[in-house]
Amino acid sequence: MITNALGRKLPEEIPGYGKVRPYEGWNARKPEEHRDGPRIRATFNDRTDKVVPDIKAAIKASGLQSGMVISFHHHLRNGDFVVNAVLDACAEMGIRDLILFPTALFGVHKHLIQHIKSGVITKIWGSVNGPIGQLVSEGGMEYPAILRSHGGRPRAVTSGDVHIDVAFIASPTADRYGNLSGVGSRSSCGSLGYAHTDALYADVVVALTDNLQPYPIASIAIPQIHVDIVVPLESIGDPKGIVSGTTQVTRDPLRLLIANHAAKLIEASPYFKDGISFQTGAGGISLAVAKFVRDAMRERKIKGSFGLGGITGFFVDMLKEGLFERLMDVQSFDLDAVRSIAENPNHIEISADWYANPWNAGCAVNMLDVVVLGATEIDRNFNVNVNTEATGALLHGIGGHQDTASGAKLTVITQPLLRGRIPCVVDDVYSVTTPGEVVDALVTEYGVTINPRRTDLMEVAREAGNVPLISMEELVEKAHNLTGPMDPVEVEDRIIGVIEWRDGTVLDVVRQLKI
Amino acid sequence: MKTTSAGTIESMDCLVTVTEGASGNGIAVTITGSSATRFGTAMKKTVLATVKELQYTGDISIAVQDNGALDLVLAARTKAAILRFLGGVA
Amino acid sequence: MRLRRTKLYLPGNNPNMLLRGHLFEPDGVILDLEDAVALSEKDTARILIQQVLKRGEFGNCEVTVRINGMDTDLWRKDIEAVVPFGVHGVRVPKVEDPREMQLLDEALSEIEDKAGIAQGSTLVFCLLETALGIHRAYDIAISTKRIAAICPGGEDLTADLHTSRSDSGVELVGPRRMVVLAAHAAGVCALDTVFSRIADEEGLRKETEFVKQLGFEGKSVIHPNQIPIIHSVFTPTPKEIDTAKRIVAAAAEAARRGLGAVQVDGKMVDRPVVKRAAFTLQRAGITEEEVQG
Repeated sequence: MITNALGRKLPEEIPGYGKVRPYEGWNARKPEEHRDGPRIRATFNDRTDKVVPDIKAAIKASGLQSGMVISFHHHLRNGDFVVNAVLDACAEMGIRDLILFPTALFGVHKHLIQHIKSGVITKIWGSVNGPIGQLVSEGGMEYPAILRSHGGRPRAVTSGDVHIDVAFIASPTADRYGNLSGVGSRSSCGSLGYAHTDALYADVVVALTDNLQPYPIASIAIPQIHVDIVVPLESIGDPKGIVSGTTQVTRDPLRLLIANHAAKLIEASPYFKDGISFQTGAGGISLAVAKFVRDAMRERKIKGSFGLGGITGFFVDMLKEGLFERLMDVQSFDLDAVRSIAENPNHIEISADWYANPWNAGCAVNMLDVVVLGATEIDRNFNVNVNTEATGALLHGIGGHQDTASGAKLTVITQPLLRGRIPCVVDDVYSVTTPGEVVDALVTEYGVTINPRRTDLMEVAREAGNVPLISMEELVEKAHNLTGPMDPVEVEDRIIGVIEWRDGTVLDVVRQLKI
Repeated sequence: MKTTSAGTIESMDCLVTVTEGASGNGIAVTITGSSATRFGTAMKKTVLATVKELQYTGDISIAVQDNGALDLVLAARTKAAILRFLGGVA
Repeated sequence: MRLRRTKLYLPGNNPNMLLRGHLFEPDGVILDLEDAVALSEKDTARILIQQVLKRGEFGNCEVTVRINGMDTDLWRKDIEAVVPFGVHGVRVPKVEDPREMQLLDEALSEIEDKAGIAQGSTLVFCLLETALGIHRAYDIAISTKRIAAICPGGEDLTADLHTSRSDSGVELVGPRRMVVLAAHAAGVCALDTVFSRIADEEGLRKETEFVKQLGFEGKSVIHPNQIPIIHSVFTPTPKEIDTAKRIVAAAAEAARRGLGAVQVDGKMVDRPVVKRAAFTLQRAGITEEEVQG
C-alpha cells in the first residue's frame, strides 16, 4: 500500500486500472512527453459524401471491434438518445467488452444496465450516476469506474493515457462532409465544448445528426477534417431533456440566506472590482449567489470581464447588460444560452481542453477570479467530496470541480449544513474529490468558514463587518451536536471506483458496499 | 389491530407508527428512510429510550419512516405515537 | 430594550421550520399551536415544541408560543407544556376581556412556581382580533404586569367589523391607531399584524412604512423573505444615526463630568430623548463602544 499526500491509502496497482501514481500536490506533476495523436487519414475528392444509412452501417464502416474504447459527449444531457442507440446496435452486432468513455452519463442512460450485465460494456471510464452508479457501487462491474474531471479527461486523451478508437458525436446540425454545429436545430445544445477533444484525437469519428444541411453549414464548431462518417437519425434527443426553459433563481429562504452570506464574502474580497470574472453553477444556491453579486455590481458600478461555465440565461442577461464583456461557454444549459451562443460574437464556445486541461499553454480556469461550487461533504481540512453520498454509493461525477477550484483565486463552496439529518461537514470525507489546499471557504446557513491558509481573506472578511464568520472547529462541533453519532459505512475490500486528480495521479478509491 | 401514528414524512420529520405486537416479542423497531444507513443505531436507541421513559412494558412494533428527522424530532414523534397508543394525550 | 421589529411565525407541527426559523434572524419567533396546527394534531405539536424548547437553540430571538384561545379547553395544556421549558412569553389570540388576562396571569404564576421559574417572568402578548378587543385595548394592556405588547388582528378583525380587506387598508387604520394609543398609554409595545401577500415586496415595504409612522415597533412575519425588508424600514437613516450618536455621546460626557443636564448643539436634551437615541442606535446595530470610539 502507498499513502498519497492526503493520507489516503492506495494499492500500488489496481486491476482494470493499472499502476497507481499517488497524488502529491495540486500542481506537483509536470508532463515530459509530447501529445498523442489520432490515426492519420488521407482523403481525396473521389469521396465527397460521408453519409451512411444508419448506426449499424456507421459502426461497420468505423471498424469498431470488441474490446475497443468508444466515447460520447453529454451535451444532450437527460434528453440524449444517441448513447443508448449506439450501444443497442453494438449489442445486436455481437460487439462486446467495450470500454465506455463518456464525458458524463445521465439518468436516461440507465438503459445501458442491460448491456453492462450482458458484457457488451465491461469498463466505464467516466462518471457513473443514478442507477448505474448504484449498480457499480454494489459490485455490478468487474472493473472499477475511473473518474476524471472535465480538465483531467482531455489531459488523459491528449497525453495518451486514454486512446479513443471510435468517437460518436451527437451533432444538432451537420453537413454531408462532416462539419458539425451545436445550434440551428430543434435539438440544439449550444456549445459542443466536450466533444472537441474526442473529435481531434479519436482514430475514427462518427457524427450523428437529425438535421442534415447543405454543405457547408454555418457556425461550424467541429470542422470536416476531423469527421469520418455521418449518420442521419430521426432524432438525436428530446429537446425538453436537452435544455431547460429559462433557469430561475431559487426563492427558498434557506438557500437565499446561504447565497447572501457567500455574496458578502465575494464583495469583501479583493477580487470584487472592475474586470472580475466568475463562474457559478446552473441552479440552487450557486445561481442565487450570482444574482446577489450582480445586484452589488450594478450598485457599485462594477463591470466584469468574463463569465465562465456552464452558461445559463442569467449570465447571458449579464452579458447583454454589459456586466460581462465575454462569456466563455463549455456547456450551454438553457434555451437563452443556446440562442446567445448562436447570435452573439461575445459568447464564445470553448473546448474542455481550453476550459480546464492543466497540461496546455493555459486553460480558462487559470484566469478565473471566483467560483461557487457545491459538495456532498467537506472535512476539517477543507477536502471536498462530490462523488459519494452518505450511504457510500458512488453516484456523482467530478465535473469541473477540481479544475475550477485549482484555477480560481477564490473558491467558495456553498451548502446547507444539513440535508435532513445528514451533515455536509464531517471529520474526514468518505472519498476525496478536491483537496483542501485549493478550497478557500465554505458557506452554510451558520455563516462563512474560511480556510485558515487564507489569512488575507479572514482579514478582509473581518474588516467588512457584514460577513458572519464561524470557524471550522465550531462548525464540525455544531454538526455533531445536531446530528449525533453516525454508523460507519460497511464496505468490502474490492475497489469499484478510482478518483483521479486532474494531473492523472490518484486521489482516492471507492470500495464496494456490503449489502 | 390497534395502531396509532404521529409525525409526517415531510422534510426533517418522521412518521412513527405504533402497532400492537405479538405476545412475548417485546419491542420491535424498524427504521426506513434517508437516515437509516448512517443513523440506524442512534435512532433505535432513541426509540427504545422513549419507550422506557414512558414506562411501557408491553409488546409493540414501532416503525419509523424517516425523512431526515433530528434526534429530538424522532423522540417527540415516538412519544406522541406511544401516548396516542396508550389512549392518553400530552 | 428588546428589538421587536419582526416576529416570525413557525408552524408548531413543522420540525423543519421550528428548527431553522431562528437562522433568518428575526427579532422574535412565534411557535404556533393555534391556527397552524389541526385540532387532531395539537397533542403531537405540543410534544414537538417541548423538545425544540428543551434544545434551546434560537440564537438571539425572543421566543414566544401562540397558545390556543382562552375560549377553548386547550390553553391550559398549552401553557403547562411549554412554560416550564423556557419561553420568553406566550401570545394569546382573540383577547377581549381583562379578566381573561388575570386568569392567565394566575395560571402562569402557578406553573412558574412549580417549575422553579421566577414569578412573572413569562410575558404575555395579546392579539386583539375583535371589535370588543380593540375597544378594550387599554384595559387589557394594564390588566397584568406580564403584558408586553398588544397587536391588532387582520382577517379576523376585518370580519368582525363586517367589512373586507382592501388594497388601501382603510378598514384597519382606525383599529391600528387605537392599538397604538392604548399601547403607549399603558407603556407596552404596539406590534402590527402580518402582511399575507408574500410575493408583494413593494406592498410589504409600503405597509411597514405606514405602520411605523403610526407608532408601531414591528410586525408579525409569515415568511423569512419578509424579514430583511421590514428590518430595513425600521433601520434608522444615516442622518438619524448621526443625531443619535451625538446625543448619546453628549449624555455619556455629561455623566462622566457629573453634570445633571445634557446639552447637544447648545440645546437641552431630556432623558426620554437620550433613551430614544440609544434605542435608535441599537436598531442601527451600533454599540456604545463604537459611539465613543
